[in-house]
Amino acid sequence: MSESPSLMISPGPHLKAELTTKQIMWWVNASLVPLFCWAITIYGLRVVGLLISGSLGALVGEGLVNYLRKQRQTMLDGSAVLTGLLLVGTLPPGMPLWMPSVGGFVAIVFAKMLFGGLGYNVFNPALIGRAFLMATFPLAMTTTWLKPFEAVTQATPLNVWKLEGVFFNNTLHLFLGLRSGSVGEVSVLLILIGALILLFKGIIKLYIPLSVLAGLLAIAFFSGNALFQFLTGGLWFGAFYMATDYVTAPINPKAQVIFGLGIGILTGIIRLWGGYPEGICYAILIMNAVTPALNHWFRPTRPEQMGAPS
Amino acid sequence: MDMQDELSTFSRGGIVTDDRKTLTSGKPIERFVPKEVVIPLIQHLGNPCRATVARKAKVTRGDRIGNAIGGVPIHASVSGVVKRVALQPHPTLVEAEAVVIETASELQEPVWEEVSNWEELSKEKMLEQIADAGIVGLGGATFPTHRKLNLPEGIKVDTLILNGAECEPYLTSDHRLLLEQAKDVVWGAVLIAKIVGAQRILIGIEENKIDAAEILNKAIAKINPSQKVFVVICKTRYPQGSEKQLVEALTYRAVPSGKLPMHVGVLVQNVATAVACYSAIRYRKPLLDRMITVTGRGIMEPKNLIVPIGTLVQDIVDFCGGLHPRTVKVISGGPMMGKALGRLDCPVIKGTGGLIFLTVEEVRREHYGPCISCGRCLDACPLGLEPNQISIYTEAGRQLETESFGTKECFECGCCAFVCPAMRPLVQFIQVAKQSFMTREVMHV
Ligand code: SF4
Ligand code: SF4
Repeated sequence: MSESPSLMISPGPHLKAELTTKQIMWWVNASLVPLFCWAITIYGLRVVGLLISGSLGALVGEGLVNYLRKQRQTMLDGSAVLTGLLLVGTLPPGMPLWMPSVGGFVAIVFAKMLFGGLGYNVFNPALIGRAFLMATFPLAMTTTWLKPFEAVTQATPLNVWKLEGVFFNNTLHLFLGLRSGSVGEVSVLLILIGALILLFKGIIKLYIPLSVLAGLLAIAFFSGNALFQFLTGGLWFGAFYMATDYVTAPINPKAQVIFGLGIGILTGIIRLWGGYPEGICYAILIMNAVTPALNHWFRPTRPEQMGAPS
Repeated sequence: MDMQDELSTFSRGGIVTDDRKTLTSGKPIERFVPKEVVIPLIQHLGNPCRATVARKAKVTRGDRIGNAIGGVPIHASVSGVVKRVALQPHPTLVEAEAVVIETASELQEPVWEEVSNWEELSKEKMLEQIADAGIVGLGGATFPTHRKLNLPEGIKVDTLILNGAECEPYLTSDHRLLLEQAKDVVWGAVLIAKIVGAQRILIGIEENKIDAAEILNKAIAKINPSQKVFVVICKTRYPQGSEKQLVEALTYRAVPSGKLPMHVGVLVQNVATAVACYSAIRYRKPLLDRMITVTGRGIMEPKNLIVPIGTLVQDIVDFCGGLHPRTVKVISGGPMMGKALGRLDCPVIKGTGGLIFLTVEEVRREHYGPCISCGRCLDACPLGLEPNQISIYTEAGRQLETESFGTKECFECGCCAFVCPAMRPLVQFIQVAKQSFMTREVMHV
């Protein structure tokens, strides 16, 4: 009899589907590439600096907390970088290059690692990062939008509407992203392309994004120009990239629809009747807070009896 | 038979995966007889057997060598001389008492005489012959078949389902059995249907075995039984071959949790068990051999084999060209629900469904991470349980609070852990939680 090799003993199942957490995170990062390439094209190379700055801040935060807590290093699992990139996606392209670092660091350390790390956070870290920057550097956060292809500042269409009551009247430009706005939000078209990649890889489902859009539309009819409301601001970026974050959104499809509608409606309310021109960031954070309750109310039903005897 | 418009399947959860069956699906079943067999006296649910032979006894293939009170007997699977009766390695129990038989130099199949009037035997007579033959469920559960077929008072079954789904990836021996012994399969089904009084027989196979449908239909036409027999083709989807899922796929009847298929008028039998019953009723032939798929990248020559019960895994490895140098894992059974073997010197027993040899590339060894609430496990669970919650609570030492997530109902199909991107060992967490419930119940009694 030949020598027995040393055999691994582990419980079943002994096969595993392809997709891992790490792959999911890197796929989401990858799906942002077209979007950011567009931002670099219209707002210039400084966008690269912002992206590096934001992800570095996030990576340092993640690495530091893991190091101090002596736990397994998770810097390369793709989720810290993703938080950094998503944060920069919500920032105006003309802001000082060091600022996203601060936001990324705060996002990771306070909104993710202090809650226990990936999987345990209640609020979307990138949006907490943005909210922090908004509170700390309000001027830079509201005045450094750039005009496409020209290195001069220009207020966003939502700002112009809020302050002067004037609508941006080129729908095609809104759709393609030929306007001033945050780094990741401007091109609806490219957000849709990124979303298609994620749909194709089975990473996101449509329950949340579609309900966010529907919720906003329901309110936007009161604004006199629903199409403008629909195509502008961070709505699409928020709907497809922020609200779909697994950890901070409910699991059950029905709960996801409520969650999405809530975000859309709150966004509309903040925009129309609130003090800020843009509302999606706070709308998502508010609905994040509702997620645990939604998870508790909506659970899978276990069929006692399905179908009739044949 | 009418053509099926649409393939049947169960309604909820499950997974579709590369089934890797082509490694062996085209290979006819080969017979292999080793020089020595190790036949454990405990092989299935129920009481273990006591040896009725001692060292140096001469035995013939088919002789009874172990009896159990209330259990099923065990037979010599080869002719030869008993070398010893002693503790030996066991595939699931680490070690157990076993009869070791050295195979006589020439292998002879005894002559199995046909029972006169075998088609007309009474129900009791058939059950008795099945019990004497030592037959247990060969689909994995290893429950004594004569007991499963002896329905309790008041239970009526109108449909017999023959389970030919073989939904676990890699395994192909049931498929080969359908192709090579279709007539025996149908005969087995007809006889079992007689025992339980079912008027309808549904033979469920998955789409990847569609070539078996034609052969089965021919066999049915030839035998022309009094019951209605249909071959039903299901979508290839795991765990189609699990009893409740198959019942739903084929009859649209849902088996409530905590109940068995017979409570909705259905009895399920595996195809290999049906063939064993047929041999037991027609020839009084005991269950002596086991058909297994030997496969995976870790074995040099994958094969479908029929081996005497008690054949050592190591001998099968040698017969199949040896191990690949990078083999790190050997699974007894299917890759989803089977068990990893720690050693190769243990025998094939009645419940061994296959041997799968995986190389280091096919096995994942990354750390598992935290639950990211992606919901994939909820989508995959055929029962609508919440393995994510069970795992989180169990990780926190709160496993006794998991009952409402379905811990006790889980049948450990592994779909949830298969899809989990965080690679959480969900089935293991569930087993831990189940164990705690059991311990608590014992302590409260
Ligand atoms: S192992 Fe249990 S919890 Fe997981 S999918 Fe199967 S039945 Fe559901
Ligand atoms: S599949 Fe894994 S990560 Fe996703 S919800 Fe279930 S346990 Fe959590």
